[in-house]
Amino acid sequence: MKKVVSVSLGSSKRDHKVQVELLGERFEISRVGTDGDFNRALEVLRELDGKVDAIGLGGIDVYLFVRQKRYAIHDGLKLMEAVKVTPVVDGSGLKNTLEREVVRILAENTGLLKKGMKVLMVSSLDRFGMAEALYDMGCDMTYGDLIFTMGMPYPVKTVAELEDIANRTLPELVKMPFQMLYPTGKKQESQDEVKVQKFAGYYYEAEVIAGDFHLIRRFMPAGMSGQTILTNTTTRDDIEFLREKGAGTLVTTTPEFEGRSFGTNVIEAAMVAILGKTLERIDAEDYLELLRNLNFQPRILRLT
Amino acid sequence: MATHLEITESLKVFQDNYNSNERLKIMNRDWNRVVVIKATDIESLNTFIVQDGLVSIKEGALENPDLTVISDSETLADMFYGDITPTEPYNNGTLRIIGQEDDIIRLDFISLMIWGE
Repeated sequence: MKKVVSVSLGSSKRDHKVQVELLGERFEISRVGTDGDFNRALEVLRELDGKVDAIGLGGIDVYLFVRQKRYAIHDGLKLMEAVKVTPVVDGSGLKNTLEREVVRILAENTGLLKKGMKVLMVSSLDRFGMAEALYDMGCDMTYGDLIFTMGMPYPVKTVAELEDIANRTLPELVKMPFQMLYPTGKKQESQDEVKVQKFAGYYYEAEVIAGDFHLIRRFMPAGMSGQTILTNTTTRDDIEFLREKGAGTLVTTTPEFEGRSFGTNVIEAAMVAILGKTLERIDAEDYLELLRNLNFQPRILRLT
Repeated sequence: MATHLEITESLKVFQDNYNSNERLKIMNRDWNRVVVIKATDIESLNTFIVQDGLVSIKEGALENPDLTVISDSETLADMFYGDITPTEPYNNGTLRIIGQEDDIIRLDFISLMIWGE
């Protein structure tokens, strides 16, 4: 049996272990959350190195892709560099491929994404592929990175402006301590009440809320009116949370195993274990082909 | 070591660049903040005020600032002239910023929007 472990800076409350079969091969997939403790994550990674088939890094991005440019988050790199033998991925390679594909599938095969729809991406620089795919299909985009990261009421409306801001700021922002840019550990379990109140309007106006689930959750107000949530990692509790807030449909880009969808880092790690190639030799086409072979489809769950 | 005059001049350059950037003025139109700039190796205090999207500078320190930026004179002058970014001195402890996390990131962001690529 192949073993894939996701080591996450997120809460240990979300830890789990499942066994699944992928392309005829048995996998044990588990998650180890370190509650935002960076040094603990380093220890766990060193312990696992050489003992499992692939490792995913969760709760942190390592690489941010903005078209052809790739920015490496320094704290993420430190974690990645702690692993010397086992292949380690952060999900960004797959995210860039899978999430574009999910947008295409939703637009072509469901009524959940249509040209002109108002879409709020709570964060977009961590999933530029999805940001670009939604814009290209003609959605009325609001990229909320500045709104929700630093409380700046400035909705970015085009991919061109998003790219311009990214290229000016990311070369330096990636050097900042990661917890200043993204909620880790216990922060993932609570809402930022000030921003929930202040920026609720962006949620109410949107028909689709897309992006990282921790961020969507952190800022979502009560009294939503049936919006579609397009995200990846959710648990049963998260689904209940969305129901209580009034969301209408949940679409997760990664498949469900035992009641929860896994992060792209986990799925990418499993794919790396299946492919058996070195990371340098894996490209987007490998992931696409594997997605087709695995018949991966977005999971659509009506919440009302 | 930079002089107080050099720090003040660097702040004026920063102010001019900020105030001529229409996008930054829109971005910060509701971010009213008082930022005190303090040197650790010379007597130098300045106050940088963001009000209704515009930046102004005053000599000396206003009371109850939202943010206090503390570093050696050379780092402060280099930073406001755009010769260095705040990230590295912030990460290595040469630069200290006292204030809310969102405000600290926003100050860094403003600087990068002015001097970034």
